[in-house]
Amino acid sequence: MAMEKEILEHRLNINRRKFLSKLSLGIGSIALGSLLIPDLFSGGESDLDVIAGLPHFAPKAKRVIYLFQDGAPSQLESFDYKPKLREMMGQELPPSVRGGQILTGMTANQKSFPLAGSFYDFKQYGKSGLWVSDLFPHIGNIADDICMINTIYTEAINHDPALTFFQTGAQQGNRPSMGSWVSYGLGSENKNLPAFTVLLSKGKGNGQGVYSKLWSNGFLDSIHQGVQFSSSENPVLYLNDQPGISRQERRKMLDKLAELNEMSYKEFNDPEITAKVQQYEMAYRMQSAVPEIMDVSKESDDIVKMYGPDCLVPGTYAANCLLARKLSESGVRFVQLYHQGWDQHSNLPMEMAGQAKDVDQASAALVTDLKQRGLLDETLVIWGGEFGRTNYSQGKLEKANYGRDHHPRCFSIWMAGGGIKPGIVYGQSDEFGYNIVKDPVHVHDFHATILNQLGLDHTKLTFKSQGRRYRLTDVAGNVVKGIIS
Amino acid sequence: MIKSTHKSFAANLLFALNIFIIFLLLFGSRIVIPIWLQLVGRMHPLILHFPIVVLIMAMMLEFFRFKERFRTEKLYHDFTDYLWLTGAIFAAVTAIMGLFLAKEPGYEGDTLLWHKWMGASVVFVSTIIYWCRTAGWYNITLARAGAAFVVLSLVVAGHFGADLTHGDNFVLAPVWHNEKELVPVDKAYVYKDVIQPIFESKCISCHNPDKTKGGLMLIDEKSILKGGKDGKLIVPGQPNISLLLQRIHLDAGDKKHMPPAGKPQLTPDEMKLLYLWVKENADFKNKVIALPEKDSLRQIASTYLKPAEETEEKFDFAAADEKTVKKLNNNYRVVYPIAKESPALGVNIYNKSSYQPKVLEELSPIKKQVISLDLDKMPVKDAELKTIAQFENLHTLNLDFTDVTGATLKDLAGMKSLKMISLAGTPLKADAIKQISSLKSLSKITLWDTGLTDAQIQDLQAHNKNIEFIKSFKDDGKPIKLNVPQIKNTTLVFASSLPLEIVHPIKGVELRYTTDGKDPDSVNSPVYKTGASVTKNTTVKVKAYKKGWLSSDVIQFNVFKSTYTPDSVSFLMPPNPKYSAEGAKSLVDKELGGPGFGSGKWIAAQSNIGVYMQFNKPANVRTVTINCLRNLGSQIFLPIGIEVWGGPDKEHLKLLSNVVPPPAKKGEPDASIGLDCKLNTNKPVSCLKIITKNIQSLPSWDPVKKGPEWAFMDEIFLN
Repeated sequence: MAMEKEILEHRLNINRRKFLSKLSLGIGSIALGSLLIPDLFSGGESDLDVIAGLPHFAPKAKRVIYLFQDGAPSQLESFDYKPKLREMMGQELPPSVRGGQILTGMTANQKSFPLAGSFYDFKQYGKSGLWVSDLFPHIGNIADDICMINTIYTEAINHDPALTFFQTGAQQGNRPSMGSWVSYGLGSENKNLPAFTVLLSKGKGNGQGVYSKLWSNGFLDSIHQGVQFSSSENPVLYLNDQPGISRQERRKMLDKLAELNEMSYKEFNDPEITAKVQQYEMAYRMQSAVPEIMDVSKESDDIVKMYGPDCLVPGTYAANCLLARKLSESGVRFVQLYHQGWDQHSNLPMEMAGQAKDVDQASAALVTDLKQRGLLDETLVIWGGEFGRTNYSQGKLEKANYGRDHHPRCFSIWMAGGGIKPGIVYGQSDEFGYNIVKDPVHVHDFHATILNQLGLDHTKLTFKSQGRRYRLTDVAGNVVKGIIS
Repeated sequence: MIKSTHKSFAANLLFALNIFIIFLLLFGSRIVIPIWLQLVGRMHPLILHFPIVVLIMAMMLEFFRFKERFRTEKLYHDFTDYLWLTGAIFAAVTAIMGLFLAKEPGYEGDTLLWHKWMGASVVFVSTIIYWCRTAGWYNITLARAGAAFVVLSLVVAGHFGADLTHGDNFVLAPVWHNEKELVPVDKAYVYKDVIQPIFESKCISCHNPDKTKGGLMLIDEKSILKGGKDGKLIVPGQPNISLLLQRIHLDAGDKKHMPPAGKPQLTPDEMKLLYLWVKENADFKNKVIALPEKDSLRQIASTYLKPAEETEEKFDFAAADEKTVKKLNNNYRVVYPIAKESPALGVNIYNKSSYQPKVLEELSPIKKQVISLDLDKMPVKDAELKTIAQFENLHTLNLDFTDVTGATLKDLAGMKSLKMISLAGTPLKADAIKQISSLKSLSKITLWDTGLTDAQIQDLQAHNKNIEFIKSFKDDGKPIKLNVPQIKNTTLVFASSLPLEIVHPIKGVELRYTTDGKDPDSVNSPVYKTGASVTKNTTVKVKAYKKGWLSSDVIQFNVFKSTYTPDSVSFLMPPNPKYSAEGAKSLVDKELGGPGFGSGKWIAAQSNIGVYMQFNKPANVRTVTINCLRNLGSQIFLPIGIEVWGGPDKEHLKLLSNVVPPPAKKGEPDASIGLDCKLNTNKPVSCLKIITKNIQSLPSWDPVKKGPEWAFMDEIFLN
């Protein structure tokens, strides 16, 4: 029967010879297909796809100045105007608004959460009608140059993890700082100065520490580490030659040292050795470049008035703003300022007035100064803290004396220049200033946007360490298109 | 019929093709199709008709294969078998071609994905069935299900394929409503792309040349301005008296309400747009982005239009030789690519002292590629502008604080791509700018801190609307308060006299000071000059003055005379180990403890402190001054009593002074205070014993209410 014969044939077809011949056919087909993959045998996606030191696309901003307000300034006394809180002064925060938010140990045991309206009045500024509190009149005056984001949010609720998260994209603190990523991604503009510098100042308000881990290079090459400029006589520590050593001697010493280092590099192949040589060389050139930058004696009276007279007192926030402009103007990619003293758990109205006085004029002056030099288009200025503050009072609520605890869900940051839309307010918080109603911006989104302005694709700026590729934005982050002009 | 070797070859081919397809599907993203294979790929739409026909025929035969009539028909079975094989091979070949074709640009999206996987499943399922259809377990149900599945897959794959080739809804398109393509915001015109479409969708069906109701046509500027038989349709700038707005705002039941009842009505946004358009003078020519950013018309219109397209600038020049670029790079001249895969370059020059004109001249090999040049603070002279003009594609030029005077700015007048030029800090004249202001590409000129007055800049701005002129920061004219003077003295303790070192960071400031405890004033108080010195324990107050500024706050500091220094000093009653500084010698080391009690220079205890001092040569000590700290909030109080004992040796000490400072009052400010003890003797002393007593019973108002109060001291002065 035909059928039976077919069945028999079918069985005969399943044997080792057939199996092997089919196998070879299959492999042959794959081999044929593989001819269509050009880089099949070159080891997969090479790390060379990520060329360090070159933007992925044409950048809007070349440099960043980050005015970090350390300790977390209250958004409710600065840029997020909430008249409702004044109306409801002293009333209990509705539990539906709080929605199960975890509180810090400082207010978790508080029996009542009385809403606290801003002690300070707000006014509208500029063509855009930006609401700014009376504590920041100068920032109000540059309303049409800045983009106010009222809906940034973070994941951490305490200072150190939140600060570390803002600086490195992770809360734990072993990753490279944002400035280091930028230095790695774009390289240095001016070879005589570090690509990433750090300036510290301290207000009189209740403060939180800043640690050098915040400007660490993490697993990146150590040339990407932030270099701290201090306010002392030697702005960069250990930069000056020892007394009695002339420039020529220094040069000879460095040349000899480079030879020795070259020898050990040949022996051990450790890239840190080359990095070290480069650092010595840069330090040598910095010896002439830094004094010129630190010299503020040639700044005109107009500039001094603009930043406020404190800009000539080393170590103040105003002086650091002026210095930031000078560094940025000289091609430093990333200038990171920290101003401490914004942690107002109590005595907020008074302490915040002092803090605002420290920073208001100089922050605004920096933006204006960059603008009048034609540099604002290519410099991105960022102002903000690590989280916001609660809309209810920590401790006893009095009209002129109250405190606010940490609030990660919604707070304000502003940016200016660098291809960011000027004169807009992005995002909207609810009438209690507690939750986000429209256009949330996560810290990862914030990072992605900054990198985007610098011509870097945050998903492509990677570095392989211990078997995995890392990014500033980890595995998240979207560029906030709404604030890009 | 067909030889069995041929058949087995064909079967093997089918197998190989299947594996090849799997491979292509898995590694599709990394495959690059050479040009000759693209030809093969493009034959996909041609070949695909064969498997459709052949497979459908095979499926029909398969469907009825187990029917009693056909079971024993050898021809039927052979034919089905060959048809299966041929169909499956055609399907596989078609699929491979399709996968090649899909690699060409322009094919992506969900439709492609569906088409790809449906097509592949046709191949796989038909191959698997071909393989299994002779097995013993293969029965009628399987045969029919398989056949049906393959046919269904063919139809679906075919449908998506047609969508890909002819576009979405190719068949239904003629009867389907056709949405108008959206225009990007940055290219849209207010009238053409926002207003006219409203007329077109809601009005024009009755107001066109073929059907002109009310004598009105709404087809173009001319017809709209003309109006209808009831008069002019719009009065630019006055929406409230414009017929158009009146008619559309009439009550919906009104006979004259437009559009008439029963026709599609205007949406609130459309009505608002028309209102704003008329209010803003019914413009027919401008682009949407010509309106101010915050303009309501622009904002509403933007929601109707597509967001602006991301336009990355394209350059039509070739990239420079990499080696040349590398060679031109040095420590003070940085030549960098604008971005990966962009031929454009930027150049920054640093270091004034090494700058020479040849730094620019050497860049001539890359003169086409440089689009950004930063010469900030370099001593660039007028003559070098000629060199700069060679960079024909330059977009951005930074000449801030260079030596350019503007006399030869016309050298730049031929730079057709120049968008921005910064001239801040250069001694320009107004007519200098006129040499380049006619450049069409220019959009920004920075003129801060130049020789130009505000009025001149305003005049330039008025004549050149397309260019943004950046002028100086203007303060509000109110005088600013000076910051406080700074003391530079490293020590404020002296033996005979102390030259004061007081500075102020701002140039031209006058410092006035007093030593009598009064606040300085701008008339009577002496002006500080280098070398001014004090000779006794004093409170110095200083204030800064400058014309045009408000005077500073007063700073004050205490200076201490210390004539005698004992040769040895030790504790009789030791302080708290936490606050014992460097031991007893810290009390006579001429170093003050500073404002913070935790500085490590203060000596303190919650009990009495006893200090013993000895001189090798008897000293004429008449006053003992103990510098103490008061910080009531931290439980630091002044001592309540000080005893000073003195004499020729340790065994013969007499009580020479017993001072009882005034008791502490609630709310006294933090301060460091020198407590004087006049010695009741006229003989030199060789030994001194000083005992300070702290408060043991707490004042009732002490907020801390714990333990005895602290007493702090940092220095003892002997005069």
